[in-house]
Amino acid sequence: MPYHQFKCSECIPERLEHAVDKGAGEELTDALPLGYLNTIPGTISERGCAYCGAKHVIGTPMKDVIHISHGPVGCTYDTWQTKRYISDNGCFQLKYTFASDMKEANIVFGAEKMLKKNIVEAFKAFPNIKRMTVYQTCASALIGDDINAIAEEVMEEMPDVKIFVCNSPGFAGPSQSGGHHKINLAWLSQMVGTVEPEIYSKYVINYVGEYNIQGDQEIMKDYIQRMGIQILSTFTGNSRFDDLCGMHRAQLNVLECARSAEYICDELRVRYGIPRMDIDGFGFEALSDSLLKIAYFFGIEERARAIIDEETARWKPELDWYAARLQGIKVCIWPGGSKLWHWAHSIHKEMGLEVVSVYTKFGHQGDMEKGISRCEEGALAIDDPNELETLEAMYTLKPDIIFTGKRPGEVAKKIRVPYLNAHAYHNGPYKGYEGWVRFARDIYNAVYSPMHKLAFIDISKDEIPTGKGFETQRMYSDVKISDEVKNDTALRQCTSKYDPIPALREKTYTFPDPKTGEWKVVSNEKFRKNSGVA
Amino acid sequence: MDETTAQEKMKQLEWYITKHCLWQYNSRGWDREIQNERILGKSKQLLCGENAREDDSNADRYYWSEAMTLVEAFKRYFPWLKTMKKEDIATVMQLLKEKMDYTMIKGSLNQELIKEKY
Repeated sequence: MPYHQFKCSECIPERLEHAVDKGAGEELTDALPLGYLNTIPGTISERGCAYCGAKHVIGTPMKDVIHISHGPVGCTYDTWQTKRYISDNGCFQLKYTFASDMKEANIVFGAEKMLKKNIVEAFKAFPNIKRMTVYQTCASALIGDDINAIAEEVMEEMPDVKIFVCNSPGFAGPSQSGGHHKINLAWLSQMVGTVEPEIYSKYVINYVGEYNIQGDQEIMKDYIQRMGIQILSTFTGNSRFDDLCGMHRAQLNVLECARSAEYICDELRVRYGIPRMDIDGFGFEALSDSLLKIAYFFGIEERARAIIDEETARWKPELDWYAARLQGIKVCIWPGGSKLWHWAHSIHKEMGLEVVSVYTKFGHQGDMEKGISRCEEGALAIDDPNELETLEAMYTLKPDIIFTGKRPGEVAKKIRVPYLNAHAYHNGPYKGYEGWVRFARDIYNAVYSPMHKLAFIDISKDEIPTGKGFETQRMYSDVKISDEVKNDTALRQCTSKYDPIPALREKTYTFPDPKTGEWKVVSNEKFRKNSGVA
Repeated sequence: MDETTAQEKMKQLEWYITKHCLWQYNSRGWDREIQNERILGKSKQLLCGENAREDDSNADRYYWSEAMTLVEAFKRYFPWLKTMKKEDIATVMQLLKEKMDYTMIKGSLNQELIKEKY
């Protein structure tokens, strides 16, 4: 597995060990890209900062909380539409963002008084919200403001509020991953164990490393609750502040994004004896195996099998419609951290795509171990790439589509490579059986878009064809499949609703009583308190 | 069963784990040792028709759940396991454990495995 030398990075020799080609017969012990290291000067890394990782990835998906940044207002830009971790309380955490708005004068004279004023003002502006997280930034860390002391003062003066302080300034790590680490451990040390949760099922888990991107958590929650399992908390998508304070009472931590949240799982195992179970929510087979092993833990595997059979029968014909048309499509899986390994094998096996490259912006070597293992030979694995390297990779590998974030995605579009948003999704949720079909549909729509084909025409010099009418996706996709598949009436296109989440929120579930084992209906309100905060 | 056959069977099982499992990737070397030991150990017991439960603790139930899911998948993917003799299964699983220990721990290039804290 030789290192991959980018031509554009020949002038930065340190970059060599950050990219490898997966060669035939080679193993992880032959070569592994370096990862999670300080940015090499001159590479123009595209990684986010540790503050971003703490606040925008992990803290802010909590739904009944005022999230305030103690720093310049620019630090807190990620709100409505740039992040899509929705919630079932009207998306308060997305609609409103708060900053203490530090300026030059505050750097000189301190900003503690101003912070206190802002905290009180925010609570008064939203009297239904009684929980707050305060995030340190580079500016407030450098001048040494004591945010914890201010939080204590406010909590003394306003006894009905609770404030969590996260000291993870932007410079506190090589990338946003440093912030994930800091907030994981801060939450565990400061908050877990401070609330005794209500237990209404014999089977209780925390769902960890899941951020409810376009409803992912709610899709997965449906399967889990149909098995009768109580989700005590989700770390942190669509979760309540107080639920996350009671994480210590779960029997099992089910971990989805190990990159962002393995730390709290590992510590919960050490401190409270709660096992960590890593799962995959993407892909029919991986998801089925995941549901099954959660069920095995509680001895309810038949309930899992019933869900797996029902969901597979409902959605597999739709997945297969797209899989027939996506065979051999070349893809670069270029997300932030975990999706390179969540997707690399499932997308190849179940949709027929060829993964020609995986990269991670902020992943560690462990993520590369997973990603490289799960993709096929010939793939290029890159750690912390810069824009020039990704351009060179695209020109060399000639992918048909890129799964990445919106910023590198726009770069791909400029060279006429379509992209799907791997972080916030295009038309998610992508988790679950239904979500995986939606993902396949979005890939199909991107790859065979007639609009995209028009982008290859240069109207300044190319001849514009006038002799033919509109072309459709089917005209592009169906030329390469057999009549037998084309006319297979068992297969069908995606029938998922535009937004499948509202219907899930109205469902009721039964759970076995923790003492008697009797199955009882539990009201929706238990799942989502504070519904009136919006 | 000769060594070449055992190695060839082991590679098939390793391929499955590589493509489908996540339990082998805990971020620290000591965790990986425990994961390999407990999950592959219980998988071997299950494949050989032995009791794989030690107690009813959450930890033991976790390792057992991973092993049950793995064994179920092994049997789905590799029908030869159903007709293989128990001592041969034990040999293949021992080879698998040694290979996983090498790839994921002893021969791993992951520099984070030796960090002292999570």
